[in-house]
Amino acid sequence: MQVWIGICFAVLLLPALVYDGRRDAHLLAIDADTLVLHPDLTRYAVRAGAGEFAAHCAQCHGSDAIGDPARGVPNLTDDDWLYGMGEVSDIERVITYGIRSDNPKAWNLARMPAYGTLHPSVNKNITPLDPGQIRDVIEYLYYLQGRSRDQDAVARGAAVYSNGGGCFDCHSIDGRGDSAIGAPNLIDKVNLYGDGSREALADSISNGRQGVCPGWIGKISPAAIRVMALYVYSLSHPAAAKAY
Amino acid sequence: MKGWRDASTPHMARSLILMSAGAAVGLGLAGYGLFTARGTSTLHVPPEDVALVNQQPISRVDFLAQLQSLYGVDLQHASPTEREKVLDDMIREELFVQRGKELDVASTDVDVRNAMVNAVELEIAADALSSAPTEAQLNRYYQEHAERYAKEGIMTLQDYVFPLGQFDSATAASAAFGATPPTAETAARFNGKASAKMGDEQFYFAAKIHLGDKLFDIARTMADRSTSAPVSMPDGIHVLYMLKNIKPFPLQYAEARDRVLNDYRNASISHLRLGDEAFLRKRANVLIADDLR
Repeated sequence: MQVWIGICFAVLLLPALVYDGRRDAHLLAIDADTLVLHPDLTRYAVRAGAGEFAAHCAQCHGSDAIGDPARGVPNLTDDDWLYGMGEVSDIERVITYGIRSDNPKAWNLARMPAYGTLHPSVNKNITPLDPGQIRDVIEYLYYLQGRSRDQDAVARGAAVYSNGGGCFDCHSIDGRGDSAIGAPNLIDKVNLYGDGSREALADSISNGRQGVCPGWIGKISPAAIRVMALYVYSLSHPAAAKAY
Repeated sequence: MKGWRDASTPHMARSLILMSAGAAVGLGLAGYGLFTARGTSTLHVPPEDVALVNQQPISRVDFLAQLQSLYGVDLQHASPTEREKVLDDMIREELFVQRGKELDVASTDVDVRNAMVNAVELEIAADALSSAPTEAQLNRYYQEHAERYAKEGIMTLQDYVFPLGQFDSATAASAAFGATPPTAETAARFNGKASAKMGDEQFYFAAKIHLGDKLFDIARTMADRSTSAPVSMPDGIHVLYMLKNIKPFPLQYAEARDRVLNDYRNASISHLRLGDEAFLRKRANVLIADDLR
């Protein structure tokens, strides 16, 4: 009797496995950025992705994915993207290779130097700033945000930003950052670290920032990476999420 | 023979026939794979890849990244020519990598060897990076290395130098410098001048470079609005006036967490690499020439 139960179980399980395999194959074969045009697949992926997110990402990003500015963990539910444009393929690439994970294909370029230390950068020849220069550049950033009126400090800070400090090199001359390399926008209201106060900015500039997101290639299946990417996409695109 | 249909009772012939059939199928598959020209092969490209080159995959994610990098377009907007070009380039690269392995290029080319060492070290690091330490582990690490996590001190200092041999002038100047910051005129009355070693506020590490160890060690202990005794140096007799001295102070765990996490990960990676190296050495057969033992 047990043998027949086992055989029946295997017979029922086999089609399910085949179905799962074919569905994952179909999911991977479609261009990531056009997947949202396939409601059934997307519905499945978002549900499955929630589980994968809880297992692999929630311990840093939180179960609600809103991150933690105290630890520099980004909010995944807003429309502010450090890397790329927030498309599914961009998210998938981050999950696959990571950020500053030392995988050669990861986003490794953006490392905020520690300007308040003797050697701000391990692999670049960068001159430290003194406390006055750090304060001035913060005033300049506040000016770009429309919050500073100390014209002398702003002028000094602008000089540091665009010359000696080299800030423009990553954060762009207008302070709006560069999603092609992961340099944050310094003049919007989104703060990756801290609360945007002068103290928080001084801490970032003085001590540097090099948060790490691990790459999951080889650790979870490509299908799991894709469903996670779709799930994260759905968090920041609630209008699209309603469709599925 | 009717008993062979009854699965609840053992039947020798049935068992032997089923086992033989299974073995025959397996041997047949193995033989086909062994004796056909291409051997066993995956006949279909896995969905997460765009091509297989001698069973080595070219991943779809890499292909899309290359397409974006070369032409600035995603798959949907790439022309057939662009897709073909990128794929051809990636296939070519894979073929040459495989050829490089056949030629054992790593044994002769220094750049290849260095790249391979880096790649293996990164593989080791990947394991450490994908595991998030608990808060308890991080806190323990912080407690064990608390001396590393302090806010850098800042000092605002004036340094006046007097000519060699005029120690009395320097002493008199030191006595004259009071609670208010001295001026260049005040120092000049005693034949002294500002050394220009120190500007406005300086981090401790910068002050140490500018002042040198001896003067810095004196400066770091000075209170706000205090004057040092004259100090003889090779370039003259120095008198320091401290305007403001913010000494380094330990950071709480929450303030230092970012750095603690970074250091913890680096320590894990280092530990893993050492462990891997020890393992590789242990299992390797390393012979060393007599004159270098």
